[in-house]
Amino acid sequence: MEETDFNDILDDWFIESLKTYKDLHVYQLEHPTQVLEWTSGKTVCVAGFSPSTNEILELHLPLKLFADDNKGLCAERDFKVVHGGFADGPVRVLRHVPGTRCVVTNDGLTSDLQVWSVGGDDSDVIRLTGRVEGRKRRRRKSVSEGGSFRIAAGLSSRVLHGAQSSDVQLTQLISGQILYALETDSDDPLSSLHFVDDVVFLAGCSNGNVYIADTRTSAAPQLHPPPASSGESVLWWTDASSCSVVRLSSAGQAVISDLRNPAGAVSRAQLDVQSGRCNPDVRASWAPALDGCIAVSGFSAAVQIYNTSVWQTESREVQPLFEHRGHAVSSQPGDDVFVTAHVWHPERPRTLLSAASDGSVHVWGWVDQSAASC
Amino acid sequence: MTRITLMFSRRLRIKVGAALTACRCFHTEPVGRESSGLPVVHHRKYVCDLPPNHRFPMGKFPRVLYHLIKDQVITEKQVWVPEIASKDVLSCVHTEEYLNNFMSGKTNEQEQRRTGFPWSEGLVRRCRYETGGTVLAAEAALQRGLACSTAGGTHHAFPSYGSGFCLLNDLAVAAKYLMGSSLPKRKVLIVDLDVHQGDGTAFIFKEEPCVFTFSVHCGRNFPLRKQQSDLDVSVEDGLEDEEYLAAVAAHLPRLLETFRPDLVLYDAGVDPHGDDELGRLRLTDQGLYQRDLYVMKSVVSRGVPLAAVVGGGYSRDSDKLAVRHSIVHRAATRVWRECGM
Repeated sequence: MEETDFNDILDDWFIESLKTYKDLHVYQLEHPTQVLEWTSGKTVCVAGFSPSTNEILELHLPLKLFADDNKGLCAERDFKVVHGGFADGPVRVLRHVPGTRCVVTNDGLTSDLQVWSVGGDDSDVIRLTGRVEGRKRRRRKSVSEGGSFRIAAGLSSRVLHGAQSSDVQLTQLISGQILYALETDSDDPLSSLHFVDDVVFLAGCSNGNVYIADTRTSAAPQLHPPPASSGESVLWWTDASSCSVVRLSSAGQAVISDLRNPAGAVSRAQLDVQSGRCNPDVRASWAPALDGCIAVSGFSAAVQIYNTSVWQTESREVQPLFEHRGHAVSSQPGDDVFVTAHVWHPERPRTLLSAASDGSVHVWGWVDQSAASC
Repeated sequence: MTRITLMFSRRLRIKVGAALTACRCFHTEPVGRESSGLPVVHHRKYVCDLPPNHRFPMGKFPRVLYHLIKDQVITEKQVWVPEIASKDVLSCVHTEEYLNNFMSGKTNEQEQRRTGFPWSEGLVRRCRYETGGTVLAAEAALQRGLACSTAGGTHHAFPSYGSGFCLLNDLAVAAKYLMGSSLPKRKVLIVDLDVHQGDGTAFIFKEEPCVFTFSVHCGRNFPLRKQQSDLDVSVEDGLEDEEYLAAVAAHLPRLLETFRPDLVLYDAGVDPHGDDELGRLRLTDQGLYQRDLYVMKSVVSRGVPLAAVVGGGYSRDSDKLAVRHSIVHRAATRVWRECGM
């Protein structure tokens, strides 16, 4: 494709985005990130995942984004780097520990956590301050199994971490004490780990098994098998809100369950995702401030928003409520760009961050087209 | 907005296309007591209704005039009201097919999407009035030396399609119309300091030696697909007052000396301002004022007439934006006074 044609496509998209987006800020990192994690309402951490040294950065979102009625007053339209540090290896997962200025990371090579302190003492450095050893289990490595190391950070500096269902543990970061260890019969690779509340957590496995465990008891966790799928081997990802669980397969099948009864299905849908990728790093997440909406990414260069409250018990093909194609539009044709991570803004209903394999990071919010705005 | 009518001595109306003789034709409605201040061209139909939450700040046009009068920069006597641009006048730039489709609402969805506007009759009307306003400002400038419109600068419109909130190219129509068709043709210099390249205007006058297109714009702003003006100065993101002014000053005097225009059309877009939602530069209010003063003084002090249009500006605060747009009128008022016009 000629460069002029490519620029023409970008121009067309720009004009269209004026109508469909309320906010759109585009940033280009030197190296792509697989992690996007809020450290406050206005700051987010990103980190590289190349084999050797990688930067960890804490970025401040453009001030213009928060100015709502007074956008004219804010000159700053760029992300600003506020803190930075270096990691010796790739950063595959990064989680902020709520109520602290700590983040924990994992490099995907071991089951250990690295613990970092972000800034502090008037410093602008992100410093490695400690390590937590993970449970060592012999892993059967198979690409088709999917799964990866997962971390969930809870209150009082308690962190859940693990790569398989059999090595998930809850560690008190400050003391290093292991508060809970998940005991399961099988070594299912993890695809998600979430605190449902202070004491209960959900571990989603890539084979579709979901474990729900209460860290106060030594009783066996509840095990919920995957929804019936079309027979071919698929990978599953899970997210839990305070009351619902969404499970998404690599074939685009989505199942919503009530958290109190994860085995049953409240509704189902077949999402409009074309998975050209053999090993997509899919993320599915509930919107914190928009009832019933989920964001889905990793299948392609788009982030899709679905409104699950209109889904029905019988699976049907559904269309996204909104699709952010910014990463696709701004990449050169022929580049196989895909979204590596996305995250909802914790308070603003229609605002998300997304990062892609070409190093782009976008923060965007779409215009609510419905007559009755939430 | 109260309807403003001023009486003006009637002139013979000459059909467009016929040679422009010594008898000038003013496209204005009958006006009242002779006004001797800076002509400010305005029409209350510069606006039309848009869908709610539409990004184009339509409300800024009447507010520009409102602020100028409220701040006593001008009086109502200085307001000249344009006629709607006729199809004949528009056809000196736009194709017959486009004009027919555009005026009758037959542009397809794809074409409309690129313009950023949903089609409506009100939209057609306001674009035609806006173009008529720029033409009148140019004519008033020829007679009085300096004139401003409270709208104008729709430089992304091409002969057969609209783009980027522009449906008719008012600067091109005014330049073409005032250039005339018989020799000696007037030479027109278009100075486009909107943060977006004047791509439509550049394309239209690519082969026209009597019109010189000069655009200073931010390289990374829309359109990414650039046309070729007679002189393009593409600047980097974040440029501030001093360097921006230097970029303009590096070229304008030389252009005036070498091209020797008979008329300058000036697009004084305020989207290079740091608070503009779309522009990627960092000018301040002072910077815009100094820029406008510089351009107008450079031109007028050489005895060349100048007509200014407000150009682009994007903000959800229409009032703040309107005040920003009124900077060019304030600068023009000062030039008018200082040059004893």
